[in-house]
Order: sequence, then C-alpha cells, then structure tokens
Amino acid sequence: MSRMQVLDRLVLPVIGAAIVLGIWQGTIAYYGLARIVLPTPLEVANTLWKLLGNSGFWHDIQISLKEFFLGCLIGCLLGIAVGVLVGVRQDARMVLGPVIEAMRFIVPFAWIPLTVLWFGTSLTGKVVLVAYAVVFIMIVTTARAIATVEPTLMRIGVMLGMRPWEIALKIHLRAAAPAIASGAKAAAAVGWIAVVAAEYIGASAGLGVMITNASMSLDTSTVIAGMIVIGIIGAVVSWLIGVIAGAWLNH
Amino acid sequence: MSSISPKTDETTSPQEARAHSSGLAFEEISHAYVAANGTTPVLRNVSFAVESGQVACVVGPSGCGKSTLLSLAAGLMEPTSGLTRWKGRSVKPGTNPDLGMAFQQPGLFPWLTIRKNVAIGLTTRGMARHEAAKQADEMLETVGLSGFGDAYPRQLSGGMAQRVGIARALALRPKLLLMDEPFASVDAFTRLKLQAEFKSLLKLDKPTVLFVTHDVSEAILLGDMIVVMSPRPASVQKIIPIAREDRDRAGPGYARKMTEALQCLGVETNLSGN
Repeated sequence: MSRMQVLDRLVLPVIGAAIVLGIWQGTIAYYGLARIVLPTPLEVANTLWKLLGNSGFWHDIQISLKEFFLGCLIGCLLGIAVGVLVGVRQDARMVLGPVIEAMRFIVPFAWIPLTVLWFGTSLTGKVVLVAYAVVFIMIVTTARAIATVEPTLMRIGVMLGMRPWEIALKIHLRAAAPAIASGAKAAAAVGWIAVVAAEYIGASAGLGVMITNASMSLDTSTVIAGMIVIGIIGAVVSWLIGVIAGAWLNH
Repeated sequence: MSSISPKTDETTSPQEARAHSSGLAFEEISHAYVAANGTTPVLRNVSFAVESGQVACVVGPSGCGKSTLLSLAAGLMEPTSGLTRWKGRSVKPGTNPDLGMAFQQPGLFPWLTIRKNVAIGLTTRGMARHEAAKQADEMLETVGLSGFGDAYPRQLSGGMAQRVGIARALALRPKLLLMDEPFASVDAFTRLKLQAEFKSLLKLDKPTVLFVTHDVSEAILLGDMIVVMSPRPASVQKIIPIAREDRDRAGPGYARKMTEALQCLGVETNLSGN
C-alpha cells in the first residue's frame, strides 16, 4: 500500500464522521434544540468518556455480549447443521423446507412477547431470541451454498471412497465454507440487533436496559452514547468475523 | 430375448461375459433419466466386456450416454435394467476399493494443496498421512509435477490440473480405471503429451480401463478395443479391436481402423477430393 492510500484510508472515514457530526451540530443550532431533546456531540463524547470509567457500563456490555455470543454460537451451529442436512438430502428438504420458509419471515421481534412470557428477563430468553434470529439466515445460506457446490466434487468423493457423512462434511461443508462465513457475518449483525431489541423490552441488565433507563430519566446524552457503543460493537464484531473467517479459509 | 450385441473376436455375449470373472462387463444395460417433464432413455441394451488389463475406449456422438456408462461402472448410480459386473460381482452403488476415476474437469479441491489433493484418496482409504503424502509426491513426479506439491489448484494451468486429477486416480493404484474425457479440455499439444504419459503410466499396474473420448485417434492410440456407440438412446454399434501395429499413425492399420470407426459414427471420411 502506498503512503497515499494509507492517508486515504485514514482521512476519508474521518471526513464521513465529520459530515455526520456537522449535520448533528448544525441541526441543534438551526432549530435551537434543548439538551434534553438532542445534546451536542461534545456532550455525548463527554458522557461516553464518563461511561468508560463506570463499572456498571462495562457490566452491561458484558451481559449483552454474553447473550449475543451464546445465541450466535447456538444459532450458527444449529443453522449450519440443518442447512447441510437440507442441502444434501432431498427428503429433509421436503420435510423442513416449507416450515423454514414460513418461520423465517416471523421476525425475531415478533417473538419478544412470548420469550418474555416463557423465560422472563433471564439470559435464556435473549439467547433463544438471538439464536432464532441467526438460525434461519444460516440455514438458508448454508443450504444454498451447498446446492451450488460443483457436482464433480461429490462424484470424486464417492470415487475416493468417502462415506456419505464424509462427503457432507469434507466436501459439501468445506466447499460451501466461504459462503457460510459471509452468511455468518450477516447473521451476526441481525443477532446483535436482536440482543439490543430484546433488552429494550424485557431485561434486567445489558446495553438496551442502560439505554431505556437513561431515556426514562431523560438522560438523552447517555441514550445516544449507548447507541454509539452499540454501533461500534456491531461493526467490530462483524469485522472480527470477517478476519477470522478469512484467516481460516486461506490458511 | 436375443442379444443384439455385435460379434467380433474381442466381444462376448452376455452369457459368456458372466464367465469372465476378472474384468468389467456390461450386461444388457438400459438406462433412462427420470425428470419431472418425462423420462429420457440414454442407454438401450448395452452389452460388452473388457477383460482384465485391457483398455476399452468408448466413442460416440456427444450426449449419447458415454458418461452414464462410466457412472454405472463406478457405482455412482444403478441402471434402470441390466447388470454391471466387476470381477464377476454385480456393481452396487457405493464404494469400490478397486476404483480410480478421472473426469473431464480435473475436479480438484481448491482448499487443498496439490499434494493433499492426490493423497486424499489414500488417506480416506486408511493410509497413514505421511505415507500417503510420500506416495502422492512420487505420483506427482511420475506425471511431471514434482515441486508443485505445496501449490494450490488455482496456481496451475488447465493441463497441469488435469495431470493432478489423473495422478489422484492413479495414486489409488486402481485395478479399474475409469476416464471420462480427461484430456478433452486441454490444448492439442498438451493432450498429445498427456496421452503419451498416460500410455506409459498404464504399464505400471496394468489396470482394466474404460476410457470415454470423442477423439477417435486418441481411442486408437490408447485402446485395445474401441466401443462405438450409436446416438441416444445409445447401444453398442460396433467393437473394433486394435492391434499394436494399428497405432502407427503412418501405417495402413491406423487409417483402416480410423475409417472403420468414423464410418460407424456416420462421419464422411473421404475428404481427399476424389
């Protein structure tokens, strides 16, 4: 990478952020908004700085991340397993296909009232919700990726003496891995959104709870700081998955 | 029902084929593909036998079901009717430990190194990893690719990838070698080279070979017999035995066999302007 490119990669994103901050500050000035409606970027930055020194804030992040990772893990594993099954076996496709097609359009948020009813504000409810949000994306991407694996590779598997499960794992799943990894990236984004949404409605701790509490005490600055943290964590998680998947696939 | 399989010195009737317990035999094979919009018959009453250690080249119009024949021999599918026998036993879907197969596309696993691509069949069949790697390296050397063991398939040219596909099949030391137009997708010069290499490789283990090609000259060069198929639904039109002297491209035998096969395929051979 040349020096020019390095400079571009540093400077251009800053320009994007500056535009957003400019519009933000400009809106406050133009409409003469009160801090309680929309605090200035500087105030939010200040709040964010204070939050970083607050152990409760880190606890909330930890809770949210825990729910997210557990849910993602369960959803991904289950989704990949079902996706392989549906992609490889026609009978499984016929049994599960319609159910999956129907259920994947019931968005996770529609389940929140039920999960609150069933699991209360516990960790389990959030994990179930995240897993639900993730699982359908994983099933559909996995099954689709497996259906497009070069058929010669399967015939070669049979020729080489592989058993059906070996062909499913060593050929189907491995050949579909890059597509599955990008599916996981998309699924993680939806999973993270589901965590926060679930916490908004029924939870005892987590980033969503922190934000709703701040909102009720009219601490708008903390609300916005929390939203920024959600955005940053989501972006970092998505980036991490991309890096891990890339490193593993191109070992 | 009476067999319509052609009678030459090299062929046998289905009843006799059963007695050949050493090679590959197709016995009154018919096959149709069933799809939602109807059935497509591809093979009709195909019978012929390849004796152990012999090379049979199957030629025929494109789409006539040559590859189907290979898939049946490989146990990748079952015929609608009829029987495929290998060493006297009927071929069932599933794994045949005697089998090695190469395809029109090299079909290498893009995530494995060349060495691992060749070794994977050996490890699948239970060989220790380091021993398989060693044998893979030896086979790569035999096909002229020593030093490429650590490369990945995307770094290879088409002809090189095709060689790896063949090396993978040969590394299994197959007693039954099935080749589905393995040289069709490489350039003419590489093809000539690969044909010559392949010919000498066959001398190592003397496998029974079923070699599908659309190139009659390739069939004469490599085969002990040429099985000429009719258009779809294909049956055996003629079986042409090839003797050693017929492979001399400048000799009379080569021209005679060439003409015989091409006429059988319905190709006009007299292009000399007479």
